[in-house]
Amino acid sequence: MNQVLLACDGLSMRFGGLVALNALSLSVNEGEILGLIGPNGSGKTTFFNVITGIYQASAGRVDYRGQDLARLSAQEIYRAGVTRTFQRSRLCLPLSIFDNLMIGNHRRLNHGLWFNLMRRREFRRQFEQQYVQAQGLVRTFSQSLSERLFEPAASVNMIDRRRIEICRALISQPTLLLLDEPSAGMTHEETRELMDDILIVREHMPGLSIVIIEHEMNVIERITERCIVLNFGQKICEGPYAKIAADPQVQEAYLGTA
Amino acid sequence: MTLGLLSQYVFNGLMLGMIYAMVAVGFTLFFGVLDVIKFSHGDVLMVGAFTGLATYLGLQALGVDSPLVQLLVMTVVAALAMGLLGALIAKYLVLPLRLAPPLNTLLITLMLGSVLREAVRLFYPQGSNPKPFPRLLPADFVSFGAFTLRADSMILLLAGLAAIVAVHLLITRTKLGLAIRAVAQDAETARIMGINFEFIVLLTFAIGSGMAALGGLMNGLYYNEINFGMGLLLGVIGFSAAVIGGLGNIYGAILGGFLFSALQSIGAVALPALFPGTSTAYKDVFAFAVVIIFMAWRPTGLIAEKKSERV
Amino acid sequence: MKRLIDPASAFPALISMAGVTLFTLLFLHAESQEAVLGLTLGAAIALLLLARFGWNARAAASFAGHSGAGNASVIIGVLVVVAVFYDQHFPLLMLASVLLYIVVCLGLNLQFGYAGVVNFAGAAFFGIGCYTAAVLTEHSALPHLLVVVAGGVMAAGIGSLLILPVLRTYGHYAALITIAFGILFRVFLEVNDALGGPQGMKLPGMEIFGWKLNDGLTFGDIEVSFYANYVLVALAMAAVAFMLVRRLERSWIGLNLDAVRLDETACAAFGIDVARWKITAFTLGNFLAGLAGAVYAMMTGFVAPNSFTFGDSLILVSIVILGGIGNPWGLTVATAIVLILPEKLQFIQEYRLLLYAGLVILILLFRPGGLMPRQVRNYFPGWKP
Repeated sequence: MNQVLLACDGLSMRFGGLVALNALSLSVNEGEILGLIGPNGSGKTTFFNVITGIYQASAGRVDYRGQDLARLSAQEIYRAGVTRTFQRSRLCLPLSIFDNLMIGNHRRLNHGLWFNLMRRREFRRQFEQQYVQAQGLVRTFSQSLSERLFEPAASVNMIDRRRIEICRALISQPTLLLLDEPSAGMTHEETRELMDDILIVREHMPGLSIVIIEHEMNVIERITERCIVLNFGQKICEGPYAKIAADPQVQEAYLGTA
Repeated sequence: MTLGLLSQYVFNGLMLGMIYAMVAVGFTLFFGVLDVIKFSHGDVLMVGAFTGLATYLGLQALGVDSPLVQLLVMTVVAALAMGLLGALIAKYLVLPLRLAPPLNTLLITLMLGSVLREAVRLFYPQGSNPKPFPRLLPADFVSFGAFTLRADSMILLLAGLAAIVAVHLLITRTKLGLAIRAVAQDAETARIMGINFEFIVLLTFAIGSGMAALGGLMNGLYYNEINFGMGLLLGVIGFSAAVIGGLGNIYGAILGGFLFSALQSIGAVALPALFPGTSTAYKDVFAFAVVIIFMAWRPTGLIAEKKSERV
Repeated sequence: MKRLIDPASAFPALISMAGVTLFTLLFLHAESQEAVLGLTLGAAIALLLLARFGWNARAAASFAGHSGAGNASVIIGVLVVVAVFYDQHFPLLMLASVLLYIVVCLGLNLQFGYAGVVNFAGAAFFGIGCYTAAVLTEHSALPHLLVVVAGGVMAAGIGSLLILPVLRTYGHYAALITIAFGILFRVFLEVNDALGGPQGMKLPGMEIFGWKLNDGLTFGDIEVSFYANYVLVALAMAAVAFMLVRRLERSWIGLNLDAVRLDETACAAFGIDVARWKITAFTLGNFLAGLAGAVYAMMTGFVAPNSFTFGDSLILVSIVILGGIGNPWGLTVATAIVLILPEKLQFIQEYRLLLYAGLVILILLFRPGGLMPRQVRNYFPGWKP
């Protein structure tokens, strides 16, 4: 269980004079749910952006199954099995729910010009397979949503959009899922439902590691096995929720040094 | 080539560069406050020039024939009218599309440019023909060998400089300018701080469009001719200049304006010299080709644009 | 994009197509301005009324569900028009032009309707096809079918010079590059003596495997206008281009193009190669424009820089927006309206740019989806989960 999946070492990210990640070192274990917390601007989302190749790290390395993610492009990182959701929903709202899911499944589809244009029979087979798979995945989250796959993503409510985003990140069967504040903009009740969904996913995909950025401490307490607290781009504390919640350094980071 | 001829080229280049810079400053202002490209800008310039011409004809009919008074009235009327037009465009075409894809703003202003161009062509008396523009500036000149320094060109150059400096001072030294810069930095925060967002946007569009009117008049006074199609090319050149300099940056726009005119001059002088037999008409081909290559090399211009996307 | 409506029977589509064909016949036949105006207004009112009674939605659903029958009915409609006007040059020339412009607009639709790569030099790429045909027919004995292909390849090739700057920039910058290119292209044509300067060049008629398209067929006493030949060629081209664009849209590639347009960051996070798909769309789009240009030039027998202005490029863009960005049927209808209306209603000929530009402004403000808004992707018409 305690096999390390991803380990970053001395990871730094600078934007001009601003240091968003300051020689950060941390690790994610295989199959765990890791909570990433810290005050606004402590570098949590930047960490995700560096891991997924949206930003190029200024220094340091990210070891993941023998590869250094800091040297790979976003596309290569996705193909290596790292997917994410975004803090602000980044669904393609005019497209259907199914289309959005297929964007997430890009690495398992055939994108050849000839296949797509001329081999319509094979294409149809692949399409139908994908439909069955997508519907199955969405059904674990919501039965009613799974019946609306060919409606525009714009036509569903906030919590369903979140679910679609999570499904989009899950459908390619990644090894590491990064959730960036999935509860943002939702009510407590909706958040609870969503977290239940995430726990269900975990049961279905036992090998999956999840890193979750979250501000709702009860969410963190309920679903994470381990937490890492960031401040000013550095790790200041690490351990189970009960431990970090009691840590004076963490309290200081949140309340400020008055 | 003689020194005199060279100075002539340099001076003409400066003159054109000044007009381009005035157009480019408008593009940069609009992009600064609202992150949009108002493509009708060149055509607003053209309408400004025609407004000036119509005002002149009106004044003639009224018997006002002092060139100085005529020029002053024309400038004020054209600048105010275009300022109003700019604000109207912002209010009814640009702001309503704030939440639509940015491409739509570009398209709608592009189409508005067509509407303005076609409206002048169709509805201004004999609008499809080039119109003579009155010579209102003193025609004195001094010659240094092959180089002729015309008083009117000198005045235009200084007037253009004054207008750009005035806008610059307005933006850097006044409270209003502070508000414009605040909106440009972060519209949300500016709004929270009590700045009337819509007012500032409209005002910026008015200022930029007023500048375009001045550019149109300068263009008319310099060439003594205006036509309904002049805005299209000037608009594209002004946009290119703003992009070369770096959108959103006033210095960049000025720099870009002069660089573009330098490119044209080089195209006009160097191409025939290097490849005998090529026409000087290739100067625009050359200038635009360089712009396209430049953009592949430095997509965000010499002075980089602010990057604001949050992931 | 709207949600899908359940496909009904094929009848609404077939009846609608019959109505459209009949209207086209009457419209092309009408001579007096009053008659043309009356027909135009009548059609507009009829469409509004039909929309009120839900007929348009039913017809659209029927087309979506029975695309085979629907497509065939459109082709038959075109052939009926050809048969009725078999000896008249003008309506057939119009028809062939519309079909060729549909090919160009399908290309533009790939570019900015799907991939979001703006191209304000559509007329220039069309012009590259025209001039390629002019030069090749004058200086070589290349078979004309290859000349047409060369027109497409040339447009795609010259377009690829713009790929690097278009890729490295986004949104407004890409717009500027294509506008600058369009202007550059036209100035270049005007000052270049080898290409005929402002006067342009003349071309021979098209010849395919010994079939001379400029010789009208004669059956006994009946003389068929030679433009009928061009209508057939243009119809074949438009049908193939339409089918390919449709299939492209209804595939993972179409999905990739949409994703590239809508969110490049999300694309990167899910491994979608933004550059690859932008290049694909841009190149294919320009190829279609060049292809159509080459045939068009051989049909009219003449090319000149004046036909490839920025205004012409804007009209092409207007067609795609008016019809409904991303909807191939929308642009088909819009091409027909935009091209034929000013030819028949002479008093708007002079005002057409003003009119279309104004219309596009209204569309963008009040109905950004266009006259026939695109629907959610339906990978296989008639397919049900």
